[in-house]
Amino acid sequence: MRLLFDQFMKKCEDGSWIHLPSYEDIATQRSQDFSTFIHAYFPTASEQINKEKLSQGRIFTRSFEDGLGFEYVMFYNDAEKRIVCVFQGGPHLQGMPGFFHGGAIATMIDATVGMNAIVSGGIVMTANLNINFKRPIPLCSIVLINSQLDKIEGRKLLVSCNVQSVDEKILYTEATSLFIKLNPEKEFHIKELVLNSAPPA
Amino acid sequence: MMRRGFQAAATLSRLRALPGAPRILPILNPAAAFGSSIDSRISRFCPKKTDFKDYALPNASWCPDMLSLYQEFLEKTKTDGWIKLPSFASNREHIQGLKLPTGLAVTPDNSDCRIITRSLQVEGQGYEHAIFFNPSEKKSVCLFQPGPYLEGAPGFAHGGSLATMTDETFSKTAYLAGEGLFTLSLSIRFKNLIPVGSLAVLNVSVDKIEDQKLYMSCITQTRDQKTVYAKSSGVFLQLQLEQE
Repeated sequence: MRLLFDQFMKKCEDGSWIHLPSYEDIATQRSQDFSTFIHAYFPTASEQINKEKLSQGRIFTRSFEDGLGFEYVMFYNDAEKRIVCVFQGGPHLQGMPGFFHGGAIATMIDATVGMNAIVSGGIVMTANLNINFKRPIPLCSIVLINSQLDKIEGRKLLVSCNVQSVDEKILYTEATSLFIKLNPEKEFHIKELVLNSAPPA
Repeated sequence: MMRRGFQAAATLSRLRALPGAPRILPILNPAAAFGSSIDSRISRFCPKKTDFKDYALPNASWCPDMLSLYQEFLEKTKTDGWIKLPSFASNREHIQGLKLPTGLAVTPDNSDCRIITRSLQVEGQGYEHAIFFNPSEKKSVCLFQPGPYLEGAPGFAHGGSLATMTDETFSKTAYLAGEGLFTLSLSIRFKNLIPVGSLAVLNVSVDKIEDQKLYMSCITQTRDQKTVYAKSSGVFLQLQLEQE
C-alpha cells in the first residue's frame, strides 16, 4: 500500500493530481457553518439532534483504530474530474468469513464518489447509489476505487465508479450514483422560517 | 420447503436453485447434508444454548423509541411467529459446522475478524441494532440506531452506514429465507438524513426467488412511518454452505 501511495504522490508533483486530506471529524469552523446549513434544510430532523452527541461524533470512515477498519487515501485529478482511492480494509470489516462486507464496500464507494461530487458541486447529498458486485473481495486486501464524474445536469451530479485489484486485472464491483446539490439560497429562506416560527424551547 | 425431486438431490456437485414456493410446507426430511430447510437454517443460526455473546440485546445507549419497539416485537415472537435473531461478533459463529463452498472458501488466518456491524463494541457508538424475522411471511424488521461514530454529515448518519445496515439485514434475511449468501447488487435511494441516536426501522421483504437469485426490497423509515429515510432493493446469490 505504501508503494502505491508513493507512486501517486509522485504523480501529485507535476500538479495534475492532488492528494486529498481526510480528517476524523470536520474542523470546527466548517462544522458550524455546515450544521446550520443542514439543520435549516431538514428542520424536522434537526430537532432530534442531541448537541452533546454531536461533539463526540466521528466520521464513519475514520472511526476505527489503526489497521482494523478503513485505511484509505484519495487522489484527485482536476482535469479529468476523477478520483482514485487506494483502499485497504481491515479485519473488522468482515461480512462472509474471509471477505469484505457488502456494506463496507458500499461505504467506501459512497465516500469516494461523494468526494468527487463535493469537489465539483459543493455541498451535496447522496440521492441514489446502485452497486453491482461482480466478485467478492478478500478481507485485508488492497483495492483501487476509481470514480469518474460523468455528467452535471443542473443540480444533479452523476458519478460512476469501479473497484479493481491493484494490477487492474480483476474487476470486483461497479457502481453508479446520483448526487443532488443542496441549494444555499433556499437555505436562508428556510432558516428564517424556522427561526421565526419555532416555538420557544 | 418443496424440493425438486430426488434426482436433483443426487447430483451433489451442482448448485441447486430453489423453486419459488410461496409457503413453507411441513419438513419432510430433517436437514440432509446437502441442502437444508428454512427451519433447520433457523435453528442452526439461532442456537438455543451458546457461549457466543448476543449483541442484539437492549443496553443503556438505546433510545426510548427503540426500547419500546423492541419490547413490542418481543411480544410478537411469542404470538405471531416472529423470531429474534441473535447477533454474534462474526458470521463464522452463526454458521458453526458449515463453511463456504470450496472454490470460495478462504483459509482463516486472522481470528480477529469481526463483522462490520459489530466492530464498534463500545455501547452506543456504532450500529445498535436488532433484527426480527418472520419465516412464514419471509419478512424482516431491523431496529437500527446509528451511533456518533457512524457520522457522515455532522449530526447525521453516514450514507454508507445505512448501506451497511441494509445490506446486513438483506443478508440475514436472504440466508434464512432461501440460502442467499453473496450480494449481487444493492440499490439505495436516499430520501432523508437519519439523525445520530434516533431510531430507524428497516422493513425488508423477499419479493421473489428465481434463477438462483433472491430479490428483496426494503423501506427505511421512522417508527411512525411519517418520514421515509430510504428505499432500497437487493439481489442475492443462492449458494449452499458445505459441511466442514
